[in-house]
Amino acid sequence: MRRLLATVLGLATIPAAAATVERKVSIDPRHVGLLKQHCFKCHDATTQEGTVRLDDLPVEIADVRTAERWQKVLGVLNAGEMPPQDEPQPEPGAKADFLDALATTMVKARKSLSDQGGLITMRRLNRREYSNTLRELLGVEINVAELPADTSTTAFDTVGANLFMSGNQFEQYRALGRDALDEAFDRRLATGRELKLHYEAETILRELVKNHADAQDAEERARRWIAAVEAAAARPENAAVVERLKKAAKNDAEFRRSWREIAGAPPPEDYGFRTVEENSDKANRAFTYSTDYFAPFRSYYFSQPHLDTGSYLTSSDPTANVSATVHNWVPGRYVVRVRVAATPDAPPHRRFIEFGTRPRAGRALSTHEVTGTFDAPQVIEIPLTLTRKHTEAQDRTVFIREKGTNDHYEQTRIFFGDGKAKNGIGPPVTIWVDWLEVERLTDDGPLAAGLAALGSLPLDDGVKGRDGKVVPHSIAAADLRTSLERFCVEAFRGTQPSTGFVDRLVARYDTRRKAGDGHAAALKESLALVLAAPSFLYLSEPDPAEGHRRLTGSELATRLAYFLWGSPPDAALRELGASGAILRPEVLAAETDRLLDDPRADGFVKPFLHQWLALDRLDFFEFNRRLYPRFDASTKMAARNEVYETFRHLLRGNGSLADLLAADYVVVNAVLADYYGFDGVHGDEFRKVMLPAGSPRGGLIGMAAILAMGSNGETTSPVERGAWVLRTLLHDPPPPAPANVPQIARLAGRTLTTRERLELHQDAPQCASCHRKIDPIGFGLENFDAVGQWRTEDSYQAKNAEGKPDPTQKKLTWKVDPAGSLHGGPAFADYAGLKAVIAARPDDFARGFAEAVIEYALGRPCGFSDEPLVDALVAGGRGERFAVRSFIQTLVASDAFHVK
Amino acid sequence: MTMLPSRRAFLRSSTALVALPTLTSLRGGTAVAAAAAATPPKRLVFLGFGWGVTEESWYPDIKTPGGDYVLPPGLAPLARHKREFSIVQNLWHKYSNEGHEGSTMWLTGANRYAQPGQNFHNSISADQVAATQFGNHTRFASIQLNGSESSGGSGHGPGLSLAWDVRGKPIGGFNTPVEAFHRMFSPDTTPLAQRQALLAEERSVLDTVLENARDLERRLGKTDNAKLQEYFEGIRDIEVRLAKEEKWLDVPRPKAPLAEPKPGLEGREEIRLMYDLLVAALQTDSTRVITYRQPVSTLLTSLDIRVFPHDMSHYHTTRAEKLDCSQKRDLAQSELLAGLLDRLKATQEADGSALFDHTTLVYGSNLRTGHELTNCPTLIAGRGAGIRLGENIVMPKNTPLNNCWLTLLKGSGVEVESHGDSTGVLEELYA
Repeated sequence: MRRLLATVLGLATIPAAAATVERKVSIDPRHVGLLKQHCFKCHDATTQEGTVRLDDLPVEIADVRTAERWQKVLGVLNAGEMPPQDEPQPEPGAKADFLDALATTMVKARKSLSDQGGLITMRRLNRREYSNTLRELLGVEINVAELPADTSTTAFDTVGANLFMSGNQFEQYRALGRDALDEAFDRRLATGRELKLHYEAETILRELVKNHADAQDAEERARRWIAAVEAAAARPENAAVVERLKKAAKNDAEFRRSWREIAGAPPPEDYGFRTVEENSDKANRAFTYSTDYFAPFRSYYFSQPHLDTGSYLTSSDPTANVSATVHNWVPGRYVVRVRVAATPDAPPHRRFIEFGTRPRAGRALSTHEVTGTFDAPQVIEIPLTLTRKHTEAQDRTVFIREKGTNDHYEQTRIFFGDGKAKNGIGPPVTIWVDWLEVERLTDDGPLAAGLAALGSLPLDDGVKGRDGKVVPHSIAAADLRTSLERFCVEAFRGTQPSTGFVDRLVARYDTRRKAGDGHAAALKESLALVLAAPSFLYLSEPDPAEGHRRLTGSELATRLAYFLWGSPPDAALRELGASGAILRPEVLAAETDRLLDDPRADGFVKPFLHQWLALDRLDFFEFNRRLYPRFDASTKMAARNEVYETFRHLLRGNGSLADLLAADYVVVNAVLADYYGFDGVHGDEFRKVMLPAGSPRGGLIGMAAILAMGSNGETTSPVERGAWVLRTLLHDPPPPAPANVPQIARLAGRTLTTRERLELHQDAPQCASCHRKIDPIGFGLENFDAVGQWRTEDSYQAKNAEGKPDPTQKKLTWKVDPAGSLHGGPAFADYAGLKAVIAARPDDFARGFAEAVIEYALGRPCGFSDEPLVDALVAGGRGERFAVRSFIQTLVASDAFHVK
Repeated sequence: MTMLPSRRAFLRSSTALVALPTLTSLRGGTAVAAAAAATPPKRLVFLGFGWGVTEESWYPDIKTPGGDYVLPPGLAPLARHKREFSIVQNLWHKYSNEGHEGSTMWLTGANRYAQPGQNFHNSISADQVAATQFGNHTRFASIQLNGSESSGGSGHGPGLSLAWDVRGKPIGGFNTPVEAFHRMFSPDTTPLAQRQALLAEERSVLDTVLENARDLERRLGKTDNAKLQEYFEGIRDIEVRLAKEEKWLDVPRPKAPLAEPKPGLEGREEIRLMYDLLVAALQTDSTRVITYRQPVSTLLTSLDIRVFPHDMSHYHTTRAEKLDCSQKRDLAQSELLAGLLDRLKATQEADGSALFDHTTLVYGSNLRTGHELTNCPTLIAGRGAGIRLGENIVMPKNTPLNNCWLTLLKGSGVEVESHGDSTGVLEELYA
């Protein structure tokens, strides 16, 4: 720490983004030669065909107009419109180089032209910050899904210029503010209320066991009745009748329905089938019980031990999965407990349960490994919050089911069918449940800051008298005013509201009271306005002078908290801000460490990584359940968490950023260890696990989530993967996919390997200019299938839109060939070689990371004017072995972070 | 109370671009409605889909312009309407560069880089140009319908609907048929006096937050203030809406000409319902300007197609299931459109003519196929703007799409001289 602090202090002189740093964006004059050779003949000062003149096109792109002229050159070359077909064409390699240079330069030029010289615009809280802020203020989390997500493909959701406001949104804020206040008030008023639900898993089985025994008995009776009918039918004197009946009947059961016409055939009633309906039908149906699709499984199930005290989780039949509904609920925090055991024969991948609500269609909220045994079952505790909005019983129905069996009905069918195909019965049961419990926590934790600010002001309308009537509280005007004012200070992160504003809040309260509202409703109406006011919704660092000024302590505290938590500063940090102590470098460094160590740092880790690594792609498509049954919803959730947890691990131990390029360890839990094929990792928490020799894991490109994103859910996409590696790991982002490039259909409809098909990209310089960089990296990752599992073979089968194989096309299988080279070198022989090439460029990676974290933290694009800061971050990081925390410390200590 | 004059001043302030109706027009609802019955008003409808179409089977042959063209397979379900729609070819937006955004600039044609210091800029969409002039006559100045789907697979690009306001900011819409139905047709049972009181209360609410906004404004510099103006503008939009609500306070909501939609429908059924609601909105003169940003990914799912929409639009290299999927999408969309045209033709106006005769409907996208942004698919139907129907209209290559929007706006009686980067009207389009 001493050393780190020294580094931080030493760097405190990094200049803030300033106008002094200028970077000219120019087309390399080498490339202008191509233009001169092929274009000037028709487009110079004298010719100007199509009123286009290129000879006076400046190589420096200093304004939007010049950018547009170059954009047009890029456009017609990409579209293949120029030079005209009857004119000499540029040599393909030279054209590709030119397009590469021009496209890359255009990206730089756009960036340069939109550079605001380090200006940080006041910004609205984005959706997640808004939600977090309400949570800190009122102690409740509400559903904010109706607000725009504020994420985009081009910038972080902290970039203020992109965060708009509209009339609709204002009304949503008001409604959501009311929701949050309702929830918070109700929760507070219900403090101490007890509620407990206990459900014995065997309850559902008693009935099922009895039904099963009855059905087996009925089948036996039916068998005897049928034997008697057939014996009668076999008598010679019945031959003619039997022949006629058999001819008329579609099947044996229908034939037996006519037992009355067969002399000597006994009535089914004699065998115990005594209902008011046609009893031969009952007997016929009872007869097929044991040949039913699910019957063998049912018999197997009922022969299992411990059914007197519990039940087993199954994928489908019988529906013995455990669920329970909380009735007469009170909003609040709950704990769900479930006592479970795995059967002795359960294979490792079938020792997981999923917890969630809405058993019919609900997604799993969490996954848990079952380590308990029949001798020593285990109690798993899972947190649950029930809110006022959970009015539907389904939302209050919790379930426990086996992982990977109920994501979707198709998965259920596949799971059972595969099990039955193996043993003729169905998938063996593996998890036994003793009981399930849901209990409300009577202690709702410390009072949230916003509620505390209301002081002694009651949260309900009055006191219930003996006669049941509510005697309204008498509210002193001065108390109300003080409380409203203090609430504003909390909501406005320490800023005092104006007298005029508080006057209006009081007036709003009075109006509602006069209109007939009780105290609580009127108060909430007034407070909801605070939560829709600009001082709450915007993070502002007021500066009437316009220009760069240093932040006050309070402003710095707020900026730090929203950077590292995505939520407002807590009391301790606010105090350090108000007193100005936070402006002292050692205090700031210590606070930065404290914030990063706090669980709320999740509010940085997740949104930052999600956007930096573009993890949203993981949710763009469904993964093919038939091809990839192991990549179920729980595994996908764990795979995504691996990314977050790995970064958190680095943050915790101040590990090296380079570990994200390659590492001899992974950070996984039991679900993922099982998916990766590692033994001996148990439990739900993620932890560092050393890799077995030869494992392809370690680093981002070995992670299932990253690899799965580089697919379409069914087949891999070397282009997606290659572009991702260039963009994220190598700091060499390909320009956006150009518009209007002629499509190449030369190989359409043919059965080809992936490599053969993508060779097309080399046909045209427009494609080759980027794909010569992208594709080789993608090919190097082809040893991972669409869900990130290792493979050595790949195949292609033409299909129709419903995913059925095209019978006229045969399947092609080939051995994966990962060898290649980066454009301009170096070469690699296989995946390990590619990984080594990437791992050898930590500086590039660190640069990309630094730019991303600067944009995220400062809420504005990282422009050319930030280069000194980027340099400082990378240089500082390099000195610290690219330790993650030192990047953040350096950034926080920089002038840019202290300046508006 | 001194609130009213200050509010008027606020609404008149320099950036308030929406004219408030005068008091006579505020109360003249019935007279206006009666006059409208004599000559049915003009309407404009824009239907946009991300991800474009299948280029080889959706467009009529460019070599057979005019009325005597062979209907391509992708438009086959529209055969019964062949004489009542035209395909206009070779239109594009010269500034569009984004190969994955079929809707963001479709009705604007803006150059996203036009403003130095900003990396995204947009301008007013054609529908909103019409709404500023048609909107005073109806309860809703315009209606934006919007398909429910995740942003990742939509192909639309940034935006909350197809509509962008005069400041180039996205305008939100009704995201489900149920929401659209309730906003348009749910009767308000609250007594008039109470509703008037509520409106007054709403205004005092706005004054409260404005107080705080002004407190903040005084302490801000130029750039921050520009950001805060969005807040003021948001509040102003509500003010204008309240003024409009006041105007319509004593006019009961129309009786819904259709049943309340079931919740949770997605894809094909959702589009069908939105089309029904769209006809209902025009029929009841609830609005005269409608856009609908149609869903594509949920449409595919509802057709039991499993291809990822982006991959579908890149069918050229493999064809096979991607092409199959792309063509099935075209057919499904054309079938839905054919149904909509049936209803527009069948729905009668007060004077006995059909809704179709007074409506201009555009169906298309900024994307053609893959990353292609030239020859944007453009289908025009309806007689509202006097457009030649029944033809394959082939314009010179790279004709501004904004010229087409200008042609439709002018044809519909909107007083406008240009739209975006338009260079003039397309006389060829007028009948």
